[in-house]
Amino acid sequence: MYLFANATIYIGLAIAVYSLLIITLGISTKNQKFVNSGKSGMIALFVCAGMAMIVMFYLLATSQFQYEYVTDYTSSELPIIYKLTALWAGNAGSLLLWTFFLTLYMVMITFSRKMKGNPMVPYISAILMANAVFFFFILGFVAKPFNLLATVPTEGKGLNPMLQNPGMIIHPVTLYLGYVGLAVPFAFAMAALIMKNVDDFWIKMTRRWTIVAWLFLSLGNIFGGQWAYVELGWGGYWAWDAVENASFMPWLTATAFLHSVMIQERKNMLKIWNISLIIVSYALTLFGTFLVRSGVLTSVHAFANSNLGLYFLIFMGVAVILALYVLMSRYNLLKRSAGEFNSIVSKESSFLVNNLLLVGAAFATFWGTVFPLVSEAVRGTKVTVGMPFFNKVEAPILLSMMFVMAVCPLLAWQKSTVKNLRKNFLIPAILAVIGMALMVVLGIQKAWAVIGYGVIILLLVTHFLEFYRGVKARRKMTKEAPLVALYRLMVRNRRRYGGYIVHLGIAFITMGIIGSQNYDVETMKTVSLGQSIELRDYRINYDRLDQKKEGINDIVYADVTVFRKGKKLGTFQPEKVFYGNWEQPSSEVAIISSVKEDLYIVLSAWEDNGKATFVVKVNPMMDWLWFGSFMIVIGALFAVWNGKYGNVTPRYTGVRKEVS
Amino acid sequence: MKMKFYLGLLVIAFIFQGSFIRAEAKQIDYKSAEFKAVAQQFACTCGCGQDHYECDPNTCNLTTEFKKDLVGMMNKGWDKDKIRQYYVNIYGEEILTSPEKSGFSLTAWVLPFVVLGLAAIAVFIIIRKWVKKKGTDVVMTDYESTEDEVEGEILTSMIDEERKKYL
Repeated sequence: MYLFANATIYIGLAIAVYSLLIITLGISTKNQKFVNSGKSGMIALFVCAGMAMIVMFYLLATSQFQYEYVTDYTSSELPIIYKLTALWAGNAGSLLLWTFFLTLYMVMITFSRKMKGNPMVPYISAILMANAVFFFFILGFVAKPFNLLATVPTEGKGLNPMLQNPGMIIHPVTLYLGYVGLAVPFAFAMAALIMKNVDDFWIKMTRRWTIVAWLFLSLGNIFGGQWAYVELGWGGYWAWDAVENASFMPWLTATAFLHSVMIQERKNMLKIWNISLIIVSYALTLFGTFLVRSGVLTSVHAFANSNLGLYFLIFMGVAVILALYVLMSRYNLLKRSAGEFNSIVSKESSFLVNNLLLVGAAFATFWGTVFPLVSEAVRGTKVTVGMPFFNKVEAPILLSMMFVMAVCPLLAWQKSTVKNLRKNFLIPAILAVIGMALMVVLGIQKAWAVIGYGVIILLLVTHFLEFYRGVKARRKMTKEAPLVALYRLMVRNRRRYGGYIVHLGIAFITMGIIGSQNYDVETMKTVSLGQSIELRDYRINYDRLDQKKEGINDIVYADVTVFRKGKKLGTFQPEKVFYGNWEQPSSEVAIISSVKEDLYIVLSAWEDNGKATFVVKVNPMMDWLWFGSFMIVIGALFAVWNGKYGNVTPRYTGVRKEVS
Repeated sequence: MKMKFYLGLLVIAFIFQGSFIRAEAKQIDYKSAEFKAVAQQFACTCGCGQDHYECDPNTCNLTTEFKKDLVGMMNKGWDKDKIRQYYVNIYGEEILTSPEKSGFSLTAWVLPFVVLGLAAIAVFIIIRKWVKKKGTDVVMTDYESTEDEVEGEILTSMIDEERKKYL
């Protein structure tokens, strides 16, 4: 097994190097046979990575403690699902997962129906293959997943209990799919540049793949947020942790790209900017990995410190320099076809402002994340840049972003006249102002909340109008029933309406964030049996404290009965788990959700006389956040779904067709 | 005699001083907004990566003592800025969860907005340049408003659909 496992890695490395060379040779000598050989190598590589994954799953599932990785991250009594998920609990395993996804994407692109006979394929393959070489090299020589131990321990060290949560199953997988996914648009961009062809085909394909990567990245962050919310000690659903920032930055720049590429599509402008955004997004995924794996910053996502980060930094450096070189060498070609704008106030301009703010937010995140290092380098003081900093700096930028998002749909392409502006914005603006006034009267008086919700009302109204006008225009011509018209309108322009659904999702998320950040209350009280804690509309009766055993873990739990405004909501059990093979206990919180707010109960401590200390929080509008997340997923899926209409990928119309 | 009386008073005062102060001291909820404002400023150094408000006293000994000290200072009537200054004087800026707004650390706060501002000016100049290049005598061929645009799109998609039926 040991031989086979390592063979998958080293043979994989050999195949990757071979394929990279043979494809490059094939391209330069215009020999289709070489390229085909490289493509076959790609399948072989996928098989290697797949085999390595299967072997690793097998070793973990059967607790083969002679393997260092299995010992480090599992123990024999661990439930099977967490034994399997331990594959991505450590450095080597998570990079194996990454490699596997990379080869998966590679095969999907190279052998997809759409790409058949496309001369870009060899270039794209070569670029992705270069990535694969790097990852197989890392697996083969730096973070080896299949290391044997000198002595076989009888028991493993176990998986950190905080990672024993359903979040562990899905959060890393989606996040890695997003991370790796951003390598695909990068490869497309580079291939297009090398071939001197940045046409419609390039835009369609790159955009599509960027949405796929973006969707996974969003999902990864959402699942991560959800997990951190229920797990005590991670600072809530978003803590601006270095690693969270590392995935937020490429998300922002990819979002910027998805918007600015529309200008390229319509006006044939911003080509250099768009390609730069792709390069930056890709580089940020590697930079994020460098941050996480090098241990230069403290983070809740603590991977074992190693020199792994350095390799990523070097790889990123090389990739960025090469990419910039290619971009510069094609600078004149890209610049030649630059178009013009008709007016300062237009949808085009608003897209530029959108890009400015998104990239600005990414920069602010970047600056805050690396500032401890900068400060240490400049004056030797390693300051902490935490939540208060990011909340203060990002809030105005992201709120302005929401405002642009609210305004943009109603601005006309080309030029918005004053008449046009008045016609489009009068009603939404009045409604937003009325809404804000109502909020102040009803007692919502915090400035951020009032402004934020005001902007969101504007956003909701403008988006509603956008749907309404579309349906009206369609009905005028087709005389369809309103719902039919809405359905057909949307499926015939999936990207636009999918995008709007995503916007609405973001609006809901923002409402959730504003509500939960500004109007949360929390208390910590020690009560005797039979006593109760009151917080806002809630009364929590402390009924019982008991202990039970689950496997090798001891669980202390409290029975609490919760009443809201005198009405019984039920009995709940916040608990504290003491692990047989882990030093620190962890808290299982009780969460009672409603549309209005979440009641969050933590059993914090207890005494021998039965007194117990509880932390009780009321987090308003949390469900809005999750609902918005759901809408983002629906919107993104709707946009990329291969519909019948208007989503035909144009055939490649490039200049050369030598090998494909 | 008088002397003894005063001495006695002093002894009594000494014995009860603890309870006098305790009576004065307010019970502070570790999860209250007022405690949050103070404790959130300080990073816990136990390696949990959290601030002293979030850090769980059950799993971190460091924060238990720290929280007690904070409560002590709050009971003395110190406000959050004074407490902050006290700790910065002892431990330096490292103890804070966000950089100071002075000295070199000010750049952390200011730079994002400076960059954003400069970029905004650049974007404005670029757009104006592009608009100027276009000139004024151009006939607008595209849609005048959103509604026309939507109608245009619908028409195109319908034509497309019809075309597909026959071709």
